[in-house]
Amino acid sequence: MIEATFPLLGTAFVVLIVLPAFALLAKAGLVMLERDEVGGPLHGLNLRYVLLTGSSVLPIAWLLSAGLHQAETAKSALACLFDHDTAELCFEPGFFALMLAVVVVASSIGVMRKHRGLRISSTDAARTLLRRVARITSSDPVLASLRDRVVVTDDDGFALGTQGLLRPRVFVGTAFAARLSDEMLASALGHEAEHVRALDPLRYLILQLALAVNPFGRFLLEPHAVRWQAAREAHCDREAVILGAAPLPLADAIVRAARPGAREVVALGARDTAVLKFRIGMLLAFSERAPARCCHQGPSAFPVAFVLLLIALLLPHQTGTAALDALHTGAEHALTYFWR
Amino acid sequence: MTFRLRSGKKGLEIRLHDLEATIMDVVWGKHLSSFAVGDVLAILEKQRDIAYTTVMTTVTRLYEKGILERERDGKRYLYSPKLTREEFMESTAREVLDEAVGGHQAMVMLAEKVSEASAGELDDLEALIQKRREELDT
Repeated sequence: MIEATFPLLGTAFVVLIVLPAFALLAKAGLVMLERDEVGGPLHGLNLRYVLLTGSSVLPIAWLLSAGLHQAETAKSALACLFDHDTAELCFEPGFFALMLAVVVVASSIGVMRKHRGLRISSTDAARTLLRRVARITSSDPVLASLRDRVVVTDDDGFALGTQGLLRPRVFVGTAFAARLSDEMLASALGHEAEHVRALDPLRYLILQLALAVNPFGRFLLEPHAVRWQAAREAHCDREAVILGAAPLPLADAIVRAARPGAREVVALGARDTAVLKFRIGMLLAFSERAPARCCHQGPSAFPVAFVLLLIALLLPHQTGTAALDALHTGAEHALTYFWR
Repeated sequence: MTFRLRSGKKGLEIRLHDLEATIMDVVWGKHLSSFAVGDVLAILEKQRDIAYTTVMTTVTRLYEKGILERERDGKRYLYSPKLTREEFMESTAREVLDEAVGGHQAMVMLAEKVSEASAGELDDLEALIQKRREELDT
């Protein structure tokens, strides 16, 4: 049996069968959550996020960890020892883990390329805008959290958005800000403050990566991911209003950001018609009746995701790697069957 | 007055079925402040083959939904719209309000086909915001 059988066939099996199967399970959960009429679109945002990302990340983490575990100890690689008699070390699971890692990295390259950074400006116009932003944020205790977190860009067509993974910053486009009143800009910054607080650029990146590494399962999850992201934007609108932002100026800023020419990353300016109508409708409602934190948000996403990831990584070392053995023998038997 | 929002539809048809929307279009378009079923039938018959009973059933349904009101006039009913077209369309946004932070209808709205907002749609949204500002100011 050639040594490349398991690394190649096993990886193909994971991409073609295992990940789409997990995507299907996640979809079932997402459909159930989205059908919950009590909470509505903003219900269980964190749980929905864990389902969307966990369906790809957790099986991959388990398989990588199990592959490395078998390669380093060679004790639980029953299939490998069985096929290779007296071999003391079995490198096939290690090569499988390596192959899987290569596939993950390769499929992530496209996503990473899209995340180009914006250029920070230091022109006179930029300095003037920064002074204006400083005046607005200093007069509002909620926006004070954005002190030193707001930068200005002359990037053509950029409206306003948050970038940066571990220490996000709010980028304000000079041309866009010139079209906003102070009240609109303050409300828009209130919306972005929630993105900053929740590390949303990191969340969005992980979501995109999780979809990218599951090319045959992503079509099942993409509609839910789009709805989740729209709901997340609406959630930031609501949080901003709860913390004191004016709903109508925020609605105005959102519509202006959606005008042709503006390009959004994690920004105010979602241009999809249905999402815009939903968000504007919600803000019009808030102008009549102050919102409350009514919806169950589920447990915080990052701590839960971290614990689940840790479990997935540690599990093979604690409870064995029988599933990987099955995958290993299955791949080799399949090749033997088709080889005959 | 609550309605089920209909996914993939535009304008009146977001909240009304096809014939209901057509009839309301006639009522608002022709400024029929008070009308009998036969008046609407006469106009619709110029556009398509349609039975009196079909129009009557649909008009009754619009009355039951609270979009039309009626008063007896001898053996027949005279109907009149409760809202102007603008008020009706605005109330669509209002309906999302109560559902904005909950409710399946808002999710249906988010599940509509993804399409980039046109300049006209953005103008409409800005006008809606401006109108609400004026309402709150007065």
